[in-house]
Amino acid sequence: MASYQADQLKEQGNAAFRNGEYLEAEALYTQAVQKYSRNPLIFTNRANVRIRLMDWNGVVNDCSKSIEITGANAHNHKAWYFLAQGQLGLHHPNEALTSALTAYDQVLHPQPTAKISPKDLETFSAFVLKCKKAKFAARDLERLRRQGDLRAELESLLETQRQRDLDEVTTQLGRSQLGNIEASERSHEITTTLDDKITSLRTVFGAADPAKHEAREVPDYVIDMITFEPMHDPVMTKNGHSYERATIYEHLKRSPTDPLTRDPLTIKDLRPNFGLRAACEAFWDSGASEWIADWS
Amino acid sequence: MAGMSGKRLQKELAKIQGVLPPGISLVSAEDLREWQMDLIVPDNPIYPPDEEYRLRFHFSANYPIEAPEVVFMLLSNPERKIPMHPHIYSNGIICLDLLDKQGWSPVHNVESVCISIQSMLASNTKAERPPGDAEFVRSNRSRPRDINFLYHDPTV
Repeated sequence: MASYQADQLKEQGNAAFRNGEYLEAEALYTQAVQKYSRNPLIFTNRANVRIRLMDWNGVVNDCSKSIEITGANAHNHKAWYFLAQGQLGLHHPNEALTSALTAYDQVLHPQPTAKISPKDLETFSAFVLKCKKAKFAARDLERLRRQGDLRAELESLLETQRQRDLDEVTTQLGRSQLGNIEASERSHEITTTLDDKITSLRTVFGAADPAKHEAREVPDYVIDMITFEPMHDPVMTKNGHSYERATIYEHLKRSPTDPLTRDPLTIKDLRPNFGLRAACEAFWDSGASEWIADWS
Repeated sequence: MAGMSGKRLQKELAKIQGVLPPGISLVSAEDLREWQMDLIVPDNPIYPPDEEYRLRFHFSANYPIEAPEVVFMLLSNPERKIPMHPHIYSNGIICLDLLDKQGWSPVHNVESVCISIQSMLASNTKAERPPGDAEFVRSNRSRPRDINFLYHDPTV
């Protein structure tokens, strides 16, 4: 009885959601779970509303609850997808990527009872890409910041050393251990040596600083020829060309032909390209976010 | 799917503002969904070397999975005429297999379409309109992509 009432409230919540009345929908879903708290769909729906409301903590909590009810290994692709969005909203790109990959995988290999929409693979694939970009941008930013701090520290140490050396010259001059001209020459030498060292230091850090690199071309083999985006799950046609899986699936839905040769082609003819996938992973690891000018 | 067309068009725009093949230039792309290109046809007496032709590209949210709609524009300021070709109607609609459902492939892009059209014009020897041009222009209400052209003249 309680679960029936909960379903009624859920339907009302769905209607409110469709009308764009997000707070109303959230309130209805909340009433629903109070009546009956073991329906994972209500939590997933509430998470969806909370995404619109940008309540990221709420999203993560609801998705976690939904996944807890169905079981972490069971099929619940929407929960994993919404979870990824929540985690991205909270600036946890590593976790977001893991969740996004789980959602993608569940849509690629759905259980027979799963309700997948035709657009899900493409949507989830694009979201995996977004999470990857966020993850590597965050990591590269962190590395830059640490490098910046280290350089500042080293320059500061060199300055301190210079000051000590100059003070030493002044002391020796005061004790008449050095003549004026000699002292002047020593001071000049100390300063010049320091300037050279600082220049060297900046050159070395500059060479390591990816921001100074010329915009390198992303290697062609990493890029999907249809979306022009880097690939994460490339598949290969009979002709040896590879495309992002979700993209070529979309193409084949409209035209079951090879994009380059126009020969007949179906999903069954595609093969995963593990070597290329590894190359794409390596590309991400090599500081990819610095290479791509319009990184978004 | 709007995501795919947006990203892809942004990247094409960035590339196209670099180097383009001779005779092809970008006129405008303020609205990412609608671009205009100018085209000059080299080495063909039918098309004077100083006569420029204006192409309008319109992209749906499903580009590049769906072909763009590409037509010639008739303008008075600046002056742009519709080039004479047995596969180009006087209202600017182009009969090219590359542009319809069967012939389009998502690996094509704005630049490759312009090159194909330019080459179609450059190799043309008949300065005429398609048969039934007047009737077609008068009565056609369909969008170019929905028209089933019969390509029965492979010599052009």
